[in-house]
Amino acid sequence: MIVGILFALVGGALVGLQNIFNSKVNEKAHSWATTMLVLALGFLASLILGIIFEGASLFHVTHMKTWYYFSGLIGVGVVTCVTQGVKRLSPTIAISIVLTAQLISALILDSLGSFGLAKVPFTWSKLIGVLVVIVGIVLFKVSDAHEEVSKSVKQSA
Amino acid sequence: MKGILFAILGGICITVQGVANSQIGAGIGTWQAATLTQFTGFVAAFILMLLFRDNSWKRFKDVKPLYLMGGTFAAIVIFSNVTAIHLIGITISISALLIAQLAIAFLTDRFGWFEVEKKKMRPGHFVGIGLMMLGVLILSM
Repeated sequence: MIVGILFALVGGALVGLQNIFNSKVNEKAHSWATTMLVLALGFLASLILGIIFEGASLFHVTHMKTWYYFSGLIGVGVVTCVTQGVKRLSPTIAISIVLTAQLISALILDSLGSFGLAKVPFTWSKLIGVLVVIVGIVLFKVSDAHEEVSKSVKQSA
Repeated sequence: MKGILFAILGGICITVQGVANSQIGAGIGTWQAATLTQFTGFVAAFILMLLFRDNSWKRFKDVKPLYLMGGTFAAIVIFSNVTAIHLIGITISISALLIAQLAIAFLTDRFGWFEVEKKKMRPGHFVGIGLMMLGVLILSM
């Protein structure tokens, strides 16, 4: 359990850093150029690390399925939906909804055992856990918004 | 209303992406999955960039090289995420990932790292992160 949580924490910390760096790129370039660059570098880094850890066996792929080729397109869906959400709502509300939808769909997929993953049975304590996380996220995000509001009040004063 | 639907769909896509990566990883190997999905995503984004006539890549030279490298993290992110999902399931993986992600955003704002404008910490930030951790604790029981 601890090892799994450590992996998830490292991944999450890097996602956080990546979001900051990508938004710096996005200040100068537009969304599609930024997305293209991010995915191009992600591909190169995966390729290099894959060769370092697996050598030539990286390219000896068996058990390939057709849908594997199209899975990368989900990333394009992520960028489109999140960007549109942030544009139409405020970042705080949009990101809170994104994170909430992420957690609830995770709970549903775990409970159904979708995509051939091991089924993690649904329990009420899981639902309570997810709801507590969501309340935490919303509170965290609302505190960000509070900062922005008080700043704009100060600026207009 | 449309904005809410986009945000919900975006969140579902992120989760499905993690699960799909994890499933492809089980099929052909984790590094193979990371390399393949980033490659097809790159090709799609490249085509869309051309379709929408986005020439703003010319301005990459105005961005600090460090910030341009953010994309490389994806290799380790996908590897960690796939490994975590295999070990502890989707829900706890995503919860722990979100805590670390928001903690980094919070620390960056607090200390003004990476030339981000400094923000004040509020009690709500601490209570929020505390609740998120409590939630993960409940999930892992």
